[in-house]
Parts: sequence; structure tokens; C-alpha cells
Amino acid sequence: GHEARPHLLADGPQFPRVFNATSGALFYAFLTHCEQVFSPALQSLLQAYAKFSGAPLIVNTINNCRRAPKGDLPVLVSEDTVVSQPAKILNFLRRQKYNADYDLSAKQGADTLAYIALLEEKLLPALLHTFWIESENYCSVTKPWFASRIAFPLSLYLPGKMSREALNRILLTKGGPPLYSLTEVEAQIYRDAKECLNLLSKRLGTSQFFFGDTPTTLDAFVFGFLAPIYKVCFPRVQLQEHLKQLPNLCRFCDDILTCYFRLTVSDGRQPS
Amino acid sequence: MQAVSLLPSIVPGDLPGGFPTSVPEEMRIKRDCKKMEQEIHTSFIFSAINILAAEPWPENAALYQQLKEEQILLSDNASSLAVQAFLQMCNLPVRVICRANAEYMSPSGKVPFIHVGNQVVSELGPIVQFVKAKGHSLSDGLDEVQKAEMKAYMELVNNMLLTAELYLQWCDDVTVEEITYPRYGSPYPWPLNRILSYQKQWEVRRKMKAIGWAGKTLEQVLEDVDQCCHALSQRLGTQPYFFNKQPTELDALVFGHLFTILTTQLITDELSEKVKNYSNLTAFCRRIEQQYFEGHEKDSSTTAAHSSKRSLLR
Repeated sequence: GHEARPHLLADGPQFPRVFNATSGALFYAFLTHCEQVFSPALQSLLQAYAKFSGAPLIVNTINNCRRAPKGDLPVLVSEDTVVSQPAKILNFLRRQKYNADYDLSAKQGADTLAYIALLEEKLLPALLHTFWIESENYCSVTKPWFASRIAFPLSLYLPGKMSREALNRILLTKGGPPLYSLTEVEAQIYRDAKECLNLLSKRLGTSQFFFGDTPTTLDAFVFGFLAPIYKVCFPRVQLQEHLKQLPNLCRFCDDILTCYFRLTVSDGRQPS
Repeated sequence: MQAVSLLPSIVPGDLPGGFPTSVPEEMRIKRDCKKMEQEIHTSFIFSAINILAAEPWPENAALYQQLKEEQILLSDNASSLAVQAFLQMCNLPVRVICRANAEYMSPSGKVPFIHVGNQVVSELGPIVQFVKAKGHSLSDGLDEVQKAEMKAYMELVNNMLLTAELYLQWCDDVTVEEITYPRYGSPYPWPLNRILSYQKQWEVRRKMKAIGWAGKTLEQVLEDVDQCCHALSQRLGTQPYFFNKQPTELDALVFGHLFTILTTQLITDELSEKVKNYSNLTAFCRRIEQQYFEGHEKDSSTTAAHSSKRSLLR
């Protein structure tokens, strides 16, 4: 058996599988791997958004990627509509009147877009690196976790492919003169990620959520990025250590986990 | 040995004395040249160490970009204009020098880059930090939350506007054929011009694929531009600058991109129409142009760019 099960949000019996199911429309989210190669973040993002906006969502971890239409995951299936890609999924939920942003002013809507761009540019590369490229992490946590959720023989091939795609993305967007080696690129992306975390912490300050007392799309995005960093127990954890020095961000994650996912959090070491 | 590449104009033929007329003369010039190389190398080390002792901004600071009329592309023009606007806002004089090989001279491969004293710095981010080390800053008056917001909006512009410009000029087949290919390699003879263009296009397309933009259609890209402009317009509101009274590097960056989009002739007007939909953004561009660029009528390098294009803002 596996010696160290990763404590991801959607892992195992600790995590409730069915949220506010209603007799009406049922949304099935097949979530294992997505184009942007950061499924754990995406999972938490979508679930957080669904929670905030009250959308009924059933999370199914897919056993066979081939069943997904067009081979393009994650996929949201509602009756006869099939939607892929995270931004489109969020738009779809919004159009179905599950909107977490009704009370935002126009300027706050603009801020949301800007902060999401900041997360994608500065935090995402380090997240990808921690999950898919840092070899200790990848071999001991990420690969076994993914492989256990995908049918053989895809489990032999798919994690490696995703790892290569992550490396490719990082090298193409961040690598280039004057950074000539992978170590230099890695140093730069972790510096950027730590600065991004600091900026988020300053922006959050002492408020409960980013725009007041109710959570919005931005909170879902930030939570989606932070929760995997915060909760997954990797061997190499420089980003997690930095995050733990920002108590308001840790409190933000814990609040969402306890309020919206109805899970108890004790000293941050328990599986969430 | 980076030292020699910092000063591209130093070659033996340029030394006082002209070309060697005899063998001993040639040896002397070569020896002088070597000595000069060593001096440059040591002075480079010293100035690198002394950089935080804040040398004053020299008179002969230069900004390098590609050739303005024939070669430079939309995205590079936008980046260069953003840096020029930033330096104008800081009141730091800089000459704009156009070279065909500017991209290759740059330490990071991207234009523009500035040559100040013995330092060469490229791209807006590092230039802002370099200028800050010299004691000039536009964002000192902002509090921590505002600084975070400013950085987030700068990432938004880079993420959406710059990527959209790159997409348009390298991935849209019509634009590539009619504008990019002729312009990008124009200083070079055939077949080098074609080879360089293909190589660059391959690089850009690879990057677009990695970030998920390769599958987008032109309409989707224009929609993203619209979304970005909408966000910028909302954030700007009725204020003169993004952080009310004083311009910051965000204003310089937004100006660089929007002004270039508004004043560059492409195949269609779709891109500039997206920006024109937001009147406060066009007013913003006009205001910055009037305040920071029209005051330098004598400087031919800036007016040449703006005088012919100014009418497009009417």
C-alpha cells in the first residue's frame, strides 16, 4: 500500500462527495486532469465556487479518461450541455444564475480580473513546479495519487505527460535569457510566488474575504491556489513554509474549509 | 566576458587613429584595444558593486529599440513606448536609438533595453527596479494594498494585452503575411529575413500553445482584449491616473499598450475599435501624450513617431 497518502481535498472518505444535491439539475464534474495541468487547484477552485454560489455539485473522480467527451478534462456535464475549461465552467455556472459576484461593484469586478492574472503569472508556475517537477514531490505524492485514480494503462503514461507539459510551460514562459539553467528558473519562480503570496496577504489584511464579508469569485480562485499549497503534505515544502508565515492567508483557508466544506481543521496537520 | 558586449560600438576600426596604416600601428591599436577591454571589465565590476551608491543619472542614457518606421512590431513598440513614458514621468532624460539588431543586443532578448553608464537593463519590470535603486520612484506614495493592486493590474496588462498583441502579429495568418513578415526581417537580405521571421514565429507559437492561446480564434482574442479594456476603464473611472493624482508605472504601461494599439495601422481596425469603445481610456492616452511627449518638440526621435500618428487620436 501507499505509505503517505496525500491529503488532498477530494481524497478519500473524509471528504463529502455530495454537496447540496437537489432533485433538479445535477451537475457531474469529472475532475482528474485539465489542460492547465493543475487539477488539485482546479478541483478546490470549482468546489469552492460551487459552494459559494450554491450550485449543486456532485464530484466524481473519473476512472477512465476516455469517457470524457473530446478527451478534454475537467468537464462539467449538465443535462445535454458539455462544458470544458475552467473559465468556461465558471461562466456556465454564472449563466445558470449561480453567481457569487452579484454584490460586487464594477471596480471590484475589475480588481478580480487583475488579481486572477497575478495568480496565473506569479503563483501558478511555482505551484506547477511543486506538484509536477520537483522530483521528490512528484515521485512520492503526485504520481501515485493520480495513478491511483486513472485506469491502467493510462496511469503509466498520463502523469508523465502532464509532468512534461508542466515543465514545458514553465520553460517557455519563464525560462530564457538571462536565466539559462533550470535551477535559475526555479529560483526565480519561487521568488515570484513568495512575492505573490506576500501581496495577497497585504491585500487581504484583516478582512474575512477579499471583498468584505461574503465570498466571491476571487476568493474561490485564491482558495483554489492556496489550498493545495497549504494542505498537501509534500516532502519539499518551501512554498508551504512561506505560506505558514502569513497567518491571515492560513486563516482564510481554514475559514473556508470549516464554513463551506464542513470539515474540522486541527493544527493544520489533519487531512482536510 | 560580458564586458565587451556592453559597448557594441567598440571595435578596433573605431579607435582614434582610424584604420591601421602599417603593421606596428596595427599592433599598437590591438594592444590599446586589449587594455581598454580590461579597463572596461574592471570598471564594470566596480560599477556593479557601486550601483547602490546611486550614481546620478547620466546625460547620455540611451534606449534601444528596433527601427521605428520599417521594422518594429506592435508588441515591441508598445513595450518601448511604456518604458519611454515611465522615464519621462520620472523626469529622466533618455535618447531613443533605433538599431536593427536591438533584440539581439538585449540581455534578455526582449526590447526595449536601456544603456545607462555601464549597465544594460531590459524590460519594464527590471528597469523600474533599476531606476528605484538610483533613487527615483513613482510608486513610493502608495500604501501596501495599492502597491499590490498596481502589480496585479500590470500583470493583467501583460497577461491579456501583450499576449493578444503577440497573438495578432504572429498567429493570425493574414496579419503575419501582410505585416509581420515584411517588417520583421526587413533590414536583412533574403533568405535571412524569411528565416528569422519563421524562427520567431515558431517560438511565439510554441509559447502560445503552452499557455493555451493557440486554440483561440481571433474573435475570442478580441473579446479578451475587450474584457481587459473594460476592467482598466472601470478601474480608471473618472480619475486622471490610475492612482488618482500621480502617474505610476502602471499608467506608463497602460499608455504604452493602448496608445500603440490606437495609432498602429493593422489589417482591420477591430483591435483599436475595442479600445475606442472606452472614452476614458482614449482621454487618458491623450492626456499622457500631451503632458509627457508633446513638450519635447525639438526631440526628433519622439515627435517623428507621434506627429504622424497624433491625428489618429482625434
